[in-house]
Amino acid sequence: MRAPHPLAASFALLLAAAPAAVRAQMQPGEWVSYRDAYRAMVQFEKYGGPKNLLQSQLQVQARDHAALGEGAQLTLSGKASQLNMPLDALGRTVFPLQKAAYDENAALVLNRKGIPFMLRPQVTIAPRADGHYDAADLRVACIQALGFVRYVDASQRARQCAGVRFVFPKKDLAGVRLRREGGSEQALPIASGVAFAGDADDDFPVVTWRFGPGTERAQIVTYDAPLAIVPLFE
Amino acid sequence: MHKPLLIALCAACGPAWAQTPATNPMPDGSHDMYVGLGVRSAPRWDGSAQRKVSALPVLQVQWSNGLFVSGLSAGIHLSDDPTFEYGPLLAVQPGRDESGSGRAADGVGLSLLGPVPEPLRRNAVRATRLEGMDTIGTRLQGGVFANVYLTPRWRVTSSVLVGGGSDRGGARLDLGVQRLAVALGAEHRVALSAGVGIVNRKLNATWFGVTPDEAARSRFDAYAPGGGLQDARVGVRWNWAWSPSWMLTSDLEVRRLLGSAAASPLVERPANVTVSTAIAYRF
Repeated sequence: MRAPHPLAASFALLLAAAPAAVRAQMQPGEWVSYRDAYRAMVQFEKYGGPKNLLQSQLQVQARDHAALGEGAQLTLSGKASQLNMPLDALGRTVFPLQKAAYDENAALVLNRKGIPFMLRPQVTIAPRADGHYDAADLRVACIQALGFVRYVDASQRARQCAGVRFVFPKKDLAGVRLRREGGSEQALPIASGVAFAGDADDDFPVVTWRFGPGTERAQIVTYDAPLAIVPLFE
Repeated sequence: MHKPLLIALCAACGPAWAQTPATNPMPDGSHDMYVGLGVRSAPRWDGSAQRKVSALPVLQVQWSNGLFVSGLSAGIHLSDDPTFEYGPLLAVQPGRDESGSGRAADGVGLSLLGPVPEPLRRNAVRATRLEGMDTIGTRLQGGVFANVYLTPRWRVTSSVLVGGGSDRGGARLDLGVQRLAVALGAEHRVALSAGVGIVNRKLNATWFGVTPDEAARSRFDAYAPGGGLQDARVGVRWNWAWSPSWMLTSDLEVRRLLGSAAASPLVERPANVTVSTAIAYRF
């Protein structure tokens, strides 16, 4: 049998020893590079199109679709950077764009042992404090979101805005009503579903409102603060 | 070319053919750098049936202004469009002597690699079969690259480099497609690539031709290849992240010589495999 090349053998030895030493400091699967997350999240900041009706957040998703549970949080962990970022019921938090954290190659650590996770940027429609949403504003917001999606993904350029989905906390809801120009009101049906495509939890109360043809003078009235208002594309 | 000069050139410029790192937005004044060391097993020269194992330094740097270095190539990302990358490109083409191909370059898929120095134990190297062939000098090539993202994970790549070959009249067009970063588990990323290289007659003549003088000195018959399709390749890169700073990056590429290059008397095996693995630190 041919002896291995000395160089290859030396490298194999190093390879056997290095991971254990390096990984002793960090549990597998429970961290993500801040730089990699920054790369994904900064695209919304750099986008020059209209986005005043939108908000961008970072969503944590367990790779095995395990529930994160209450109290989950991400920690920005570096030599000089420490920041706790509580996650909402959808696993989202506002991502801090920090040069210091980038330069020191910080890690994002989840406070859930044994749950490998990934991060996804999520752009949604910003909620209003009064809970009243003009149909025209929702349509414009959806178009803004579609503009951003088309900016980052060329394969999405043929899609069109179809509506919006209000995602609510899991509790008794007072309902969502559609108020038309003449004053008539209509309760919109509440269903169970996911907040975002690919989410594991499909048990959130959701209200979907699809855009009609032409301009519609109407208002969506919510009596509970939505967790997210998700633009729908088809 | 002296190594310090080579590194200085790379630091001043950008990436290499088929090794263009993806656009990497970052804070103003920041950089993203990988440095490391590994080993590489490759054919002794293009088409050789003999292999050599050598050390493989790793280098990839990207700056916030768009400049990048990836192995033996360097360039500038000029586009702000996340679905379209383009810019100027410089690349060092390693030369070849009687012992085979000289320094080579690699990358870390979306991110790394560097030049290959001489084998560590020259006295252990068996005699090669390029005796009598002219030495081909290292060349600095210039050109442009353009990549189009079909989706955020799939991109079509292209680059044109000129200035290679023994008389600096060589030109090469690379066309390829890449699937970026398939996540396999929490720490593993795999990127796939495939492509073809098209060259002019002068570049093919440099690497696969045999002049009458060389034919008189060597065991090869005279051969004058034409231009056209030179090779097709498929590759897979596996990055194993141990921490935000440390990673193992490994690459496997299968390359098949085509056309008049494959018919060269220098070619003992038209299809060959190059593998490398390296530990890299991210600064």
